[in-house]
Amino acid sequence: MGNKQSIFTAQQLDAYQDCTYFTRKEILRLFYRYRDLAPQLVPLDYTRPDVKLPYELIGSMPELKDNPFRQRIAEVFSEDGQGNMTLDDFLDMFSVLSEMAPRDLKAYYAFKIYADFNNDDFICKSDLEKTLNKLTRNELTEDEVRMVCEKVIDEADLDNDGRLSLEDFQHMIVRAPEFLSTFHIRI
Amino acid sequence: MDRAAGQGPTETGGPAAVTGNGRLGDRRPSSRLSSQSPPQLNWGSALTGDDEDDGPPQDLRSRPLPMSQRRALWQEQQKKVPVVSKGESWRRKNAKLLREGKEALKEILYFFSPWRKALQLIGGESWTRSAVFLFAMRSVGKKRTFVLLIAGFVLVPSIVFRGSEGTGFPNLTVLLECMNYNPNPQGLVPFYTYILDVLLGTGFVELSYLFYGFYENTVVEDRNFYNIPLAYLLTAAFYFAFCLICIVVRLGYAARVAVATGGQTGGEYSMIAFAGWDYGSLGDKETKLKQKNILYRLQVDLEEERLKNQAAALTLKQKVFLYSLRVLLLFLALGLIAAALFGIFQATQFSQKMSGREGIVGLLIQYLPSIVITAGNFVVPLLCDQIALLERYSPSVTIILALMRAVVLRLVGLGVLLFTLWTQVTCGGNPEEDDCRLCQYNYKLYQCWETRVGQEMYKLTVFDLLIAVATLVLVEFPRRMVVDHSSNALVQKLGRQEFVIPSNVLVLVYGQTVVWTGALFCPLLPLINTVKFIILFYCKKITLFHNCRPALRTFRSTTSTFFFLVVLLFGWGLATTVMVYSVTAIHPSMSCGPFRFFDNMWLIVPATLYSLSDTSRDFLFFIGSQAFSIPLFILLCVVLCYFIALASVYGKTVRLLRTQLKL
Repeated sequence: MGNKQSIFTAQQLDAYQDCTYFTRKEILRLFYRYRDLAPQLVPLDYTRPDVKLPYELIGSMPELKDNPFRQRIAEVFSEDGQGNMTLDDFLDMFSVLSEMAPRDLKAYYAFKIYADFNNDDFICKSDLEKTLNKLTRNELTEDEVRMVCEKVIDEADLDNDGRLSLEDFQHMIVRAPEFLSTFHIRI
Repeated sequence: MDRAAGQGPTETGGPAAVTGNGRLGDRRPSSRLSSQSPPQLNWGSALTGDDEDDGPPQDLRSRPLPMSQRRALWQEQQKKVPVVSKGESWRRKNAKLLREGKEALKEILYFFSPWRKALQLIGGESWTRSAVFLFAMRSVGKKRTFVLLIAGFVLVPSIVFRGSEGTGFPNLTVLLECMNYNPNPQGLVPFYTYILDVLLGTGFVELSYLFYGFYENTVVEDRNFYNIPLAYLLTAAFYFAFCLICIVVRLGYAARVAVATGGQTGGEYSMIAFAGWDYGSLGDKETKLKQKNILYRLQVDLEEERLKNQAAALTLKQKVFLYSLRVLLLFLALGLIAAALFGIFQATQFSQKMSGREGIVGLLIQYLPSIVITAGNFVVPLLCDQIALLERYSPSVTIILALMRAVVLRLVGLGVLLFTLWTQVTCGGNPEEDDCRLCQYNYKLYQCWETRVGQEMYKLTVFDLLIAVATLVLVEFPRRMVVDHSSNALVQKLGRQEFVIPSNVLVLVYGQTVVWTGALFCPLLPLINTVKFIILFYCKKITLFHNCRPALRTFRSTTSTFFFLVVLLFGWGLATTVMVYSVTAIHPSMSCGPFRFFDNMWLIVPATLYSLSDTSRDFLFFIGSQAFSIPLFILLCVVLCYFIALASVYGKTVRLLRTQLKL
């Protein structure tokens, strides 16, 4: 893992290593992936750490381009909330989606991805409906969507306020052993 | 800022406490803070960055902060020069070295793992992330162990000591007729005999280390005392015990998950909605399939709900009619299975009686049991599926019923085959029959019956492989060609081959059972099976990607793992019964094999025991005596009761907590 690379200083690499779940080599690999999206924008030696790649480029990555939630993912992890990501955001996103991230961390971000269609820190019925439509490509009938939403809120809502808070969501995720393996992008 | 005492981040990473009120870390400048106290996340140690035992790394990266904030925190932590003791800094340095070592190892494994690329592709096609491939790999691992064992303990000594004096216990009353065994073909043979020999396990293959008959009963008496028959028997016994332990351990893990999550009651819909989407899916087609899959699952669940409501609303007359129809159809299904089993019985008898024929006809006759078994396992489930349409159970019950029928057919079919073989070898268990009187086994048909049994298992394995490859080449490729290029509506409705996971796993379980049964008689069969699995793995991979579409009906992976492990356990039980019976009740062949002068294979153990020194003998007798085994048995019962009580307490606690949460 030598000091043969000239992109990051040792301290920067250390910082990234401690702040994400990646090793040095993986961080460098990710940097090259990030740069490949727009080589003319991203300098090779990280002198401009505030370069932001627009959402269209991020959304065109092969790992994300067919994911129906890619816009929400980019919005959740980007600093400006519009999906335009700096390298920091990029690394953060894939770190949370990697297989070493703990369940609670993933649950937090998953909640944000599914919840904030209308910016209220809760998963309410309309959020659920949008999620379901994305999951099934709009092929469920309205009745079916309504029934499923009711059932989901029934099952998961513990404080009975008609919508899911982060707590409810996390309690439900604890019971889903496959969450860790589905909320995972291999890069 | 709250600092819950003792709530620092744990080894597993990630904060655990979620208390009542607070706010989410706001990342987006546009998120409004809701006035109704959204939950707070208590991330443990505060921003002052105290030194935990795990060090800062675990602390920082499991916090849901924007990266820039994390890096700022990291800078602050670095600035502080913590006053640490020598021991502390030495530990920190070690931890860092360990981490770097692990990274290096990961990099190496990244390049050297042979399954990694395949797994990466398959994992991306997430609907195949299933028991099939994991199962195959695990079986390969188990078999490699056995092969190494066999090689070390039996094969190598056999090769080395070949030709030494066999010091069995020559029974002077052994008749020369029983010793007549010469499978070598006489005179000139046509060249294709060699191919036939490989396919059937006869001829030059028969007289090789592949089969039981070739091993000698050498007992090397000089300073390196090595008793090959004993090694043979004990290796086989150890292999069975090892497999049992592996299965039970994995069953334990699966059962633990089932108890901890309290089964699948409640939460199916929310599970599908929030944990159903696999973020690792790649590709447009794959995504569409996954979406269709989720759609199907939701529709099935809603349908089940509707059926349940409907069933509760049936009148008495309708109920009686439905139940009687179901009983009738059950008998019909059982009748179909019984017919298939009878067919296997007849085929085996016929094939064994006509075992002398040559050429292609002879080949077909030899493979007749395998052909009948495979055909039965293909046709009967198809028919049972049609029956299931009439039975009108809910979808999940239908799937489980279909699987159970398939399992029964496979395992009992194998059992019938073995039973037929054994009746023929022992003349129906009656040693006074004409054919068996001389040598205690049917020496007219079977000069070396263990090799013959081994050959049957060998043929089953080889046929399995041939059929899999043939199906791939002759059925699935053409089907895909036809579907892709023809625009006929009927053909399009038929569609590409569905990759049905449960039946593929059943095939693997069946293959494993065959291997276990044959392990005693054909010691290198596990090696052949390993090679077969590897070939099958790559074949199935090709099929998966090019020819098939995923099955719409999925099977929940946690319950399915448990189910398949239980089936595997049944297969193991069958194989063990067979082995125990062969070892203890049937007279080994007198013309071949390491046990040729014993009355049954088990007798080598007492014989060896008596030749041990006094103390070891007394010790072993003590272990086998009642004074030891009864207290041991009682102790095991107590431990078992303890675990059952523990499991039931946990189950009750889970249920209690769940009701409390609901309220």
